[in-house]
Amino acid sequence: MTDTLQVPGAAPCGIEVRALRSGYPGRPVVEDVDLTVPAGQVVAIVGPNGCGKSTLLRTIARLHRPDAGTVHVGGEDIWEMNRRRAAHRVALLPQSPRAPEAVTVAGLVRYGRHPRQGLLRQWSREDERAVRGALEATGTTGLAGERLDRLSGGQRQRCWLAMVLAQHTPVVLLDEPTSALDLGHAVDVMELVREIAGTGRTVVMVQHDLAAAARYADILVAMKDGRVVARGVPAETVDEALVKEVYALDADILSAPGDGSPVVVPRGGRPATT
Amino acid sequence: MTAPHSPHDAVPPEGTADVTPPDSTVLRTGTLSWLLPRRSALAALLLIPVLVTVIALAVTASSTGMGLSETIGGLLGTGDPGTVMIVRDFRLPRIAVGLLVGAALGIAGCLTQTLAGNRLATPDLLGVDDGAAAAVVAAAAGSTTGMVGAWWLGPIGAVVAAVIVVLCAGGAGGAGYRVLVAGIGVSTFIGAVSDLIMSRQNDNTAGGVFLWAVGSLNGRDWSAGTPLALVLLLLVPLSLAVGHRLQLLRFDDDMAASLGVDLRRLRAGALVLAVALAGTAVGVGGPIAFVALAAPILAQRLAGPTRVPVTGSALTGAVLIAAADALGRVAAPVELPVGVVTSVLGGPFLLWVLFRPDRATGKA
Repeated sequence: MTDTLQVPGAAPCGIEVRALRSGYPGRPVVEDVDLTVPAGQVVAIVGPNGCGKSTLLRTIARLHRPDAGTVHVGGEDIWEMNRRRAAHRVALLPQSPRAPEAVTVAGLVRYGRHPRQGLLRQWSREDERAVRGALEATGTTGLAGERLDRLSGGQRQRCWLAMVLAQHTPVVLLDEPTSALDLGHAVDVMELVREIAGTGRTVVMVQHDLAAAARYADILVAMKDGRVVARGVPAETVDEALVKEVYALDADILSAPGDGSPVVVPRGGRPATT
Repeated sequence: MTAPHSPHDAVPPEGTADVTPPDSTVLRTGTLSWLLPRRSALAALLLIPVLVTVIALAVTASSTGMGLSETIGGLLGTGDPGTVMIVRDFRLPRIAVGLLVGAALGIAGCLTQTLAGNRLATPDLLGVDDGAAAAVVAAAAGSTTGMVGAWWLGPIGAVVAAVIVVLCAGGAGGAGYRVLVAGIGVSTFIGAVSDLIMSRQNDNTAGGVFLWAVGSLNGRDWSAGTPLALVLLLLVPLSLAVGHRLQLLRFDDDMAASLGVDLRRLRAGALVLAVALAGTAVGVGGPIAFVALAAPILAQRLAGPTRVPVTGSALTGAVLIAAADALGRVAAPVELPVGVVTSVLGGPFLLWVLFRPDRATGKA
């Protein structure tokens, strides 16, 4: 099933974040963060708006230079690599990305090959295989010739994932990949994320939806005010105390009938003190 | 995988998708591969006969009633010495300079529009035109003859103005529109300084400077053409190399950066090229209006929406200037400067660009 997602010749890469401080002058957004992600795992970062989730993701993606600390991907410091080498190792899907005007689905996915292309290598057989494989893996082969802006939100998001997959990186970072999707499409995308991890890729995603994060991630990382306040296996990490600490919310934690993953049911009404 | 895992979308039946760019032919040997963009190549091939025709018309266009056979005689050096001199020493270099100026403005416009992500962005919004003009005006005012001769001050003035604009905008790697807003402010100020200098000159100097300031190729010969050609020889290949990467700017910055593009370097490089090309062109030909705006838009239509049409913009710019200059020489009883012709034709073109319904989206 997952052969179309396989990255040929790429060794799996884990991620090591050490004593990271990152943010803007005079205002650190991420502080004192340590994070180890074993290769092939799905990590979901959760937390309230403005807690530093996206900044942490952008720092791992080498888009934001840390003020202190290091980010190693596959044992190498990401800031010791140049932009292009980093793009061979880490792919990022930003939240609500902007596509070139009038681009087709195949055209978009082809851009995923840009880090591997050059003046003498403009369209290799490997590029061709990678794009075809990414389309197949995301179920968008039949849409290849369509214009991206004419598709539904759910279809569009699968096309963006195809582009990220075509980049053939051992690490995939997703910033709220399901935030604009209805429940059905959100589940589709999360199932796809599991398949991506099943090929040995490491996935780190920022997830607004605590239930989805708990259900699909191997490791849940909860952040508040720029710091990691909890991390671990979702079923053991998500409890009433955590929800109260992170979201300042009283909630009951139920166990999903299917897989026992935690389901958060807010009781309504904020507690008197946070 | 056989079935798409989405039960939530009706996905057309699967097949083996043809993922090769549909408008390109793939050339491969060993591990090397190239894409030949058929549509752009065809557009360029179509523009070349147009260019040759315009050159032929420009060579033969005459305000003095010189006939075709006389012109050919002048070209071949077999006519009378006066005709030979007019054709070979005046018309040919003037046409060559026009073509080079047009190509430079076309590429500069293409780079600027792509950088700003706005097809109405032109190099003069970076302060290039007013900077070049101020330098040339100041030199003419300071010289004893009051003549416009020091064309090479144009690019220097252009670069100085562009540096001021970029500093005001907070660096070359920043967002395109900040640079443009800063450019409008700085241009207005520099333009006022030029006007102030002009207002203190005698009519003779002011007249000569005015002709340059509307954009004119009158009297341009090889002394301006040769350095211009050398500058283009250096900058055009660099622009072609940058142009390919510029298409990544059509994504947002995070996406482009995660695809391996060093955005600060790319933006700064493209900006420097645009300013150098436009500054040189303006120094030689004056601030000829609308070519930097129109050439890339026309080239984009020829090359298709997904490309950054550097070559097409160069060819289109060359055609536009050569045609406008030839038209200016014969259309009126008095010779019209090329800048006046492009302005007269460019105004309606701009309105067409603004109000033409976009066929693809139906938006105005």
